[in-house]
Amino acid sequence: MKLTSREQLAAWLDALMERATVIAPRQVECGGGSGTHLLLYQPVASSAEVVFDFQRTAMSPKGYFLPSTEVLFEIEKRSNEVTLDEALPQDEQVLFAIRPCDARGLRVLDALLVEHEPADAYYAQRRRNTTLVGLACPHLWPECFCTAIGGAPDDSADVDIMLYEVDGGYLVSEITEKGTALLAGLNAEETDQPAPVSDRSGPSVPVLAPEAWPALFNELYWARLSDRCLSCHACTYVCPTCRCFDVRDYTRAAGPNGIHIERLRSWDSCMAAAYRRIAGGHNPRPSKMHRLRNRYYCKFNYCPQDFGAVACVGCGRCIAVCPVGIDITEMLGEVAALAATLEERGKGKG
Amino acid sequence: MSDNFEPRIVGFLCNWCSYAGADMTGTSRIPYPPNIRIIRVPCSGRVDPLFVLKAFQEGADGVMVLGCHPGDCHYSEGNYHARRRYALMHRFLDFVGIEADRLCIDWVSAAEGHRFAQVVAQFTAQVQPLGPWNGLQRRRR
Amino acid sequence: MSESIQTALRTRARELLELGEVSCVIGYERSPRGRVRPAFIYEPADADRLVWDNTCHHNLMVYLHDRKTPPRRGEEVPRVAVVAKPCDVRALNVLLHEGQIAREKVFVIGVACAGMCEEGTEELQARCRRCRERVPIFYDALVGEPPKVTAVDEDWADVVELEGMSAAERLAFWTREFDRCIRCYACRQACPGCYCFECMAEQVDPLWVGIAIELPEKAFFHVMRAYHLAGRCVECNACELACPMHIPLSLLNRKIAKEVEALFGYRAGGDPQTPPPLATFRKDEELPL
Repeated sequence: MKLTSREQLAAWLDALMERATVIAPRQVECGGGSGTHLLLYQPVASSAEVVFDFQRTAMSPKGYFLPSTEVLFEIEKRSNEVTLDEALPQDEQVLFAIRPCDARGLRVLDALLVEHEPADAYYAQRRRNTTLVGLACPHLWPECFCTAIGGAPDDSADVDIMLYEVDGGYLVSEITEKGTALLAGLNAEETDQPAPVSDRSGPSVPVLAPEAWPALFNELYWARLSDRCLSCHACTYVCPTCRCFDVRDYTRAAGPNGIHIERLRSWDSCMAAAYRRIAGGHNPRPSKMHRLRNRYYCKFNYCPQDFGAVACVGCGRCIAVCPVGIDITEMLGEVAALAATLEERGKGKG
Repeated sequence: MSDNFEPRIVGFLCNWCSYAGADMTGTSRIPYPPNIRIIRVPCSGRVDPLFVLKAFQEGADGVMVLGCHPGDCHYSEGNYHARRRYALMHRFLDFVGIEADRLCIDWVSAAEGHRFAQVVAQFTAQVQPLGPWNGLQRRRR
Repeated sequence: MSESIQTALRTRARELLELGEVSCVIGYERSPRGRVRPAFIYEPADADRLVWDNTCHHNLMVYLHDRKTPPRRGEEVPRVAVVAKPCDVRALNVLLHEGQIAREKVFVIGVACAGMCEEGTEELQARCRRCRERVPIFYDALVGEPPKVTAVDEDWADVVELEGMSAAERLAFWTREFDRCIRCYACRQACPGCYCFECMAEQVDPLWVGIAIELPEKAFFHVMRAYHLAGRCVECNACELACPMHIPLSLLNRKIAKEVEALFGYRAGGDPQTPPPLATFRKDEELPL
């Protein structure tokens, strides 16, 4: 364990920026001078832009691994010559001050996108190119529920370096070799001070076991829950583990007799009516009830069963972002209660 | 802006008046700026504001919507609708930063070959000093 | 005041459900986290969940679109009651005019409104400070007394400020704002006026916008959406309040509202008889082009 000051950390970041893209929490001004701000992970040009004291960014950092839009490859045809350009992302990235829940989100994405064949080469490459510098939360923030879902505000399992804020600076813990390598150049002193243990008290949110979900599939509850859903994509886009995308080819003329094709991949959302529409116009998930239910089943039933990972890390962003107050913790509580009632009723019949 | 900048102008011309007017310009051998790329539409009322914005995003420096003179619409009232639509669109595009001078709505009848040449020349001269339009377009990292 | 409105709302909702007048009452409730959110009351016993205060800003008319078709083929479209502020009723008026909603299928519980506050403050929203319509233009039942509030004059100050900039500055402003957009469509989904079966932003044939979440797509969507609401936007601000990226969408709508008023002397949703300005014309009008 090492001890360093914020100034030394800042100097180290500034030096890092010379050779890698440093992505860190940054305050973004909204609406001109209207005074509203958003905190977002963004590439920074100087440590002066980095916000060290924060709760949670508005968006998860997944966009630096699975960008909202990326070019998968380009094909150019000129007369009889065809060239294919498939450039995997090469930039070295450092993600500074990632929260343990977001890092855990990346572990979930790894399970889905890398450990499962076929692996997503673009995502995998960005994961390899990126070093994660975690920043422990001293406690759970409003809307947070990581502890209910197997995480912890000071969980260092999924980062390369972990920072803990302490009196007089930060404790630096090297978790992986990649992390140790990145730390070269940080001015810090060795210390035997133990890492502070964060306050883990948080809401008790019962999470139903994956195999208990199918019995609830046809309950009226889902229709009632989705009554207020607007079917916007906000919850899925802020989520650290939602990873659905759409792919499309864009063609344009390139010189005389030439043609240029670009294959784009962009985020897509299961909340969109058109998401599940198939050829001929049929839609197996025609209403917002079907879509909202699917989102939760995906997280707590399908993903755990198919990929061994609950696709929720308790970051609370979907709760904070929902314009109509849909709350995933409330849903989990109600679903658990519903399951208990059904079980009770089943026993009565038996 | 450099004097030799040649703006790319997309012109939506109604089939019944303005397109025929442009034909008249040609058959009368009246020269007009080659900057305009003409798209024939059934009526100026058919020109969805989408078309205009899409043209700007796909590289147009100026957009013209030309139709029959009010009262002469082949479909009786299409151009009245267009008139309202673009009176508003003009001001709105300017508000998001697409200068009002880059959009033109005017009336050219089938007999007005001279007028077509004049309108196009005037508009081209109006867009030229504004320089190329490259706002709200793709910026690849 | 809000307390008596709340009590009256609950009583009315319970009555309507008990008498079987409506199948559901759409109003507001408080979430376990203390924030007000839309509520759907189906049972008389649940009527006490309804609340009323100065944070009931959602425009509930948007939910009427979910209830335009019968739940099962051959069944009747169930009648619902909806809690409506004066601005919400103007939105409903637009929908009635456009033939979207059958008037007899909606029981409007109009609320006399003193204005909604900015999130987390006791300060009235700017639009509410300007509002002169404290009682809805129509309703089936009215709750509350017209509050004594002096409205400030509409000066379009926010719009005028942007108009005063150069075109390049305005472009820079909107480029910055639009660029933050994540294309989550919360604005569109929260808007009662956006009810197209398929939005031009998601249309595939022809492909107007495409799937990329990049500046051209974002700008195209916002500019066209605002334009599609020309003469239809009632300034309920549901879009801006729903936006997770704090894009000042009301500026776009207000610019159009200002021009619509200047060009056509029209205010959206105010009068059920006059057609919206872009659905009509006058032959003899002189418009600056």
